[in-house]
Amino acid sequence: MPIFLYIERATFIHRLHPTVKVFALFVMFWSVYWVDHPLALLPLAAVMAAAAQITGAWPNFYRLRWLFILVVFFTTLAWMVFYRQGPALINLPLIHLSRASLLFGLGRGLKLAELLATSVLFLSTTKVEEFTAGLARLGVPYRVGFAITLSFRLVPLFIDSALTVVQAQNLRGYDFNRGGPLERVRRYVPVVIPVFMGALRKANSMAMALEARGFGMSRQPTSFIDYPVEAGDLAATAALFALGAVYFIIYYTGYGAISPG
Amino acid sequence: MRELGAMWRNTRMVVLCAISAALYAAVLVPFKVVPLIPGVTELRPANAIPIVCSFLFGPAAAWGAAIGNMIGDFFGGVGPGDIFGFFANLFYGYIPYKAWNVIAQGQSPVARSPGAVASYVAVCLAASVLCADIVGWGDNLLSFRPFSILGNIIVFNNMASALVLSPLILIAVYPRVRRGRMLYADVMPEFKERPWSVRAAGLLLLVAGEAGAWLMGNLVSTGYWAPSFLSAAMTQAPYDKAIAIVVSPFILLAVVGVGLM
Repeated sequence: MPIFLYIERATFIHRLHPTVKVFALFVMFWSVYWVDHPLALLPLAAVMAAAAQITGAWPNFYRLRWLFILVVFFTTLAWMVFYRQGPALINLPLIHLSRASLLFGLGRGLKLAELLATSVLFLSTTKVEEFTAGLARLGVPYRVGFAITLSFRLVPLFIDSALTVVQAQNLRGYDFNRGGPLERVRRYVPVVIPVFMGALRKANSMAMALEARGFGMSRQPTSFIDYPVEAGDLAATAALFALGAVYFIIYYTGYGAISPG
Repeated sequence: MRELGAMWRNTRMVVLCAISAALYAAVLVPFKVVPLIPGVTELRPANAIPIVCSFLFGPAAAWGAAIGNMIGDFFGGVGPGDIFGFFANLFYGYIPYKAWNVIAQGQSPVARSPGAVASYVAVCLAASVLCADIVGWGDNLLSFRPFSILGNIIVFNNMASALVLSPLILIAVYPRVRRGRMLYADVMPEFKERPWSVRAAGLLLLVAGEAGAWLMGNLVSTGYWAPSFLSAAMTQAPYDKAIAIVVSPFILLAVVGVGLM
């Protein structure tokens, strides 16, 4: 099972400066936040579909298709319980099904789906190093960025060692599928312990290796990877500013709102 | 909370932070596909890890919980609500060992006396409720989901892992880590705690703040209580403004309490 969503391509979006990508994430969140009406959210969906086509990110969207459907469905349903505005179309227990509650719930569901889509696009086009470089440019301290990068790198290693322990226990006849859901989860505790202890054994040597290489000597260490700002980055930043401004205007003029009537 | 900053100067704590984060994410990611309520939250046996790591690595575990949760979000998509998730998990990993130091005073977290068990349940509950409060409050502030959905599911999810899984892992690893002199008190011996009376006052503020936030969040977001000092428009779904005005002071109180601990 692939753990991360990054897809190696040489597209214009992949080559954007990491800080521009983090800014793009922010602008998409900003734009989605200001509008409520499902129709007002559609242009953003079109922008994301175009970006998915350019970046070749559709396989990741397909992989998460059920998550998208469930997010929209359950969010719409949840808000039809809590948002009790407008005359009910049908009398149902617990759920208030009106035009306003349906629009409001669907709008929230689409918002969450678009936020999810934004992050899928970001993760499909951004490496971990780029993400931490982007954070560093935004002022996150070097040691924090290093811890984030190291954590990302260790996750597949720990999952691999857990799978090895599972296989070893299976060979010895240990049945992980016995009992109810709670019992099954408890049966994985003997897997966690060797992974945990193995990780701790590495901690000391890892800390010594880092210090031997001068970790923490400088507040702003140099890096092998350089991310120069290019014309495309400036153009993308300008386009993102425009998008954010347009969505704020849509909010300000009231076009993105839902009337409770 | 001074040690949350001080720990970044200690290379071994940085490594332990990365290990805590990676362990958390390594258990979190495979269970992303087992939703508890689709589109809202999934089954999270991984929530046992921050509790265990908190008793072992203290502040490194707090940052580890925050980063590990962020890595988990990267697998299934990130959104603005995840900023609240980051801080909620920071507190989820920070409170257990801090509150334990106040109420159990030097006792081992794997002691099996009734007092120790009661203290363990109390500190896990304190951590779980503040984590749930912050996520529920943040998601409702952004009008994504009502407080009463996430604010309650997260308490249940966290407590189930903390009570069923964490003790089993803790009993197995705590004595080994102590023998290996890898507990946070061994790695950061230079750190001095505040006087007990100040920390106890902090714990009281935390409990008052988080209990108030949880109660008010539930009452306001379900529409059971419409505060008379708010306008009628504020006390209607999505209740974002009402939650901001009523719940935020309690969250602030809880955070001040954590700061004093």
